[in-house]
Amino acid sequence: MNGIIFDGVFFAMVGAAIAGLACCGSAMGIGIAGQAASGVVSEDPKKFGQALLLQALPGTQGIYGLLIAFVIMNKIGLLGGSGALDLTMVQGLYIMASAVPVGLVGIVSGSAQGKAAAAAIMLISKRPEEVAKGMVYTAMVETYAVLALLISFLMLNSIQL
Amino acid sequence: MEKLAVIGLSREQDVFIEALMRLGVVQINAQEAKLCDEKWSELIDKDDAGKWVSKWEAELDRIENALNMMDRFIDRKAPLIRERTRISEQEFDSTLEYEHEIRRQMLRITKISRRYNHMLLRENKAVTARQALLPWQDYDIPAQDYQTQSTQVWQGVIPGSNDSADFLKILAGKTGYADAEVVHSDNEQHYISVVFYEPAAEEVHSVLRDLGFNRIALPINSGSVREAINELEAQIDAVQAEKKSMIEQVRSFASFEPTLKLYYDEISMRKDRAVIREKFLVTDSTFYLEGWYPKIARKKVEALLQENSCYYEIAQPGKEEDTPVLLLNKEIVQPFEAITKLYSLPASRGIDATPFFSFFYALFFGMMLSDAAYGIIITVGTFVIRRKYHLEGMLKQMIDMFFLCGISTTFWGVMFGSFFGDIITQVSTNFFGHAVHFPTLWFSPINDPMRLLFFSLTLGLIHIFLAMGISAYMAIRDGQPMDALFDTGFWYILILSLIGYLGGGMVEGLPVALPVVCKWIALVSALGIAATGGRRSKGVIGKVVGGLGSLYGITGYLSDILSYSRILALGLATGVISSVFNTLGTLAGSGLMGAFVMLLAFCIGHPYNIAINALGAFVHSCRLQYVEFFGRFYQSGGEGFRPFCENTKYVTILKEEL
Repeated sequence: MNGIIFDGVFFAMVGAAIAGLACCGSAMGIGIAGQAASGVVSEDPKKFGQALLLQALPGTQGIYGLLIAFVIMNKIGLLGGSGALDLTMVQGLYIMASAVPVGLVGIVSGSAQGKAAAAAIMLISKRPEEVAKGMVYTAMVETYAVLALLISFLMLNSIQL
Repeated sequence: MEKLAVIGLSREQDVFIEALMRLGVVQINAQEAKLCDEKWSELIDKDDAGKWVSKWEAELDRIENALNMMDRFIDRKAPLIRERTRISEQEFDSTLEYEHEIRRQMLRITKISRRYNHMLLRENKAVTARQALLPWQDYDIPAQDYQTQSTQVWQGVIPGSNDSADFLKILAGKTGYADAEVVHSDNEQHYISVVFYEPAAEEVHSVLRDLGFNRIALPINSGSVREAINELEAQIDAVQAEKKSMIEQVRSFASFEPTLKLYYDEISMRKDRAVIREKFLVTDSTFYLEGWYPKIARKKVEALLQENSCYYEIAQPGKEEDTPVLLLNKEIVQPFEAITKLYSLPASRGIDATPFFSFFYALFFGMMLSDAAYGIIITVGTFVIRRKYHLEGMLKQMIDMFFLCGISTTFWGVMFGSFFGDIITQVSTNFFGHAVHFPTLWFSPINDPMRLLFFSLTLGLIHIFLAMGISAYMAIRDGQPMDALFDTGFWYILILSLIGYLGGGMVEGLPVALPVVCKWIALVSALGIAATGGRRSKGVIGKVVGGLGSLYGITGYLSDILSYSRILALGLATGVISSVFNTLGTLAGSGLMGAFVMLLAFCIGHPYNIAINALGAFVHSCRLQYVEFFGRFYQSGGEGFRPFCENTKYVTILKEEL
């Protein structure tokens, strides 16, 4: 049991799992935006395309999470077919720490972006020609998911195995 | 923009308006102010064409009705992109020679449409009546016998929750003058017929009421219910046959549809010409109008005015006057006007940012998507759309813009060595046993992210400096060269010297003194900013606070420049996600099964990746322009230039270039 707990690969895998949690944020965000979109489309089915575009915006946090999880798994050799590398506990903890920004920020920014997207969908219900402005407001939230992704990626990249 | 004032003769007004519409470069202004002005109001009157407006509007309604009818019943494939038919002026005019005939045909269709609606009404009525009679279909007392000399027959219902046998029993127990029969029962109701002796009607009625009996008057006059139903069904059949034949008739007009659409456009232009007359001022024999036109159209406008023997004056807009805004750009950057318009048109004294950011837009988009295969797909796709359809307006600009962005994406894909991610490496390793790599011209961002990060930030710095430069130019243009120096010049020096101070020591080969020199330059320029930043505030305290506040703006520059790191992040996202799908594809190993899984992962993964990342690249390139670039100088809020022109829905009348 101790062998598993203090195994570096185990901590690295926990890191990949934390990164994957960013999907929670996207799920919440897309859900919120989807509710608003259905309301708007019930009034005017022609707005489906625009609403879908806005609904898709909070989806990126999940992708960033997947990205970091993938890079972690790739780094520790889980995907190469030759088996996992031998990691020390410290190395595993480093990797785990590097996944925290993208996972944690992903949850918060995903749901926040979903709210912004829902408001933007309300905007297009009244002024469909202003969809670009709604998109920009929504994308402002994503900036911080992008920064978190960069932090995670750069941390991960600087860990020597 | 130049301002135009025209006086012409009323008898030539119609011809003039038509020619003006054809030229389509003059925006005519409303003249409410002059009507209120005493000097003018005695002489002039507002031109009134209200009668014509309503006449043409009624005609448009009729045509629309006919077109809707055709749209409903003529089957055809809806086109992916709606485009207007292109037609020469000559063809347009020659078609309209048969206007009378076109109108007659159109009226025939509207007549069919009216009758069709009438038939629909009749059908609905018959269907409803039949529905009401159906439960009674086995009821055989003919309607003429419902009332005899001493008996009466009532039909009615009791709720389905009551027991019909109980009903009969209680009725027989309470009165001897009535006899009832259950005709039909369904989930909701029992349908009951009651025969009673008329002189005892009151007694029977009160018993029936107590039993919850609800009388229904059957909508028939004679014969049995069955006969009535048969008759209704025959009626429904007849109506449906008639409807069918009407639909056939409408379909026989299919070849007439293009002509009708052309007629619609002609009438809508006539309506526009009548509407615009409300912006004209008239006397008994002359008319007056004012408007804007773009400078480059001056020759054509003047030629037109001379041809129509009008007196005219041309004036430059006053300094404080807001003119309508028309974006005019070279062909290569024109597609990017779409991005400017999505933000908001520049103010009339502002600067059109399009030529400045176009290059950066395509550059950032390309770096964010950065995959040669995706770039080729976008480029080829938009190219095919452009060749196949005659697009107009915003859609055309967007498609053209994506075409250019696609080229940029392909370029960066080759620079960074990405073609569907790493599919070539994966497939060759997995299926053929030796790795073949797509050539990487520069470097791979996944292996060397720091390098791309610095490159992105450098591009961001250039982008922001360009925006500051434009802002300085505007200050100089408006006669405020000191503003340009204080608000832009000092910042240029400060940012560059800070970079030299902080980064100079890291690069080898540079003079050792550089960081020290830069440090002092930075300090001096920071002092300059602090000293001049509050120059508009009042009082010593206000100036000090304003100056320090403006120096604090350094954080804004820092975060703006760091914001360009998204180029790296989004580029990584595309690359890594495509390699995720490619890796998934290789999980089943080689062989037939492996090839199948690979194909599946490819066909699902890459379209998804291209869609989500192209959206991301579009939005984030926009953001970099709107927030980081436009924020520094752009003045928005101009009114778009709306010339009086041929505003048609279905056909484009090609202009003959002379």
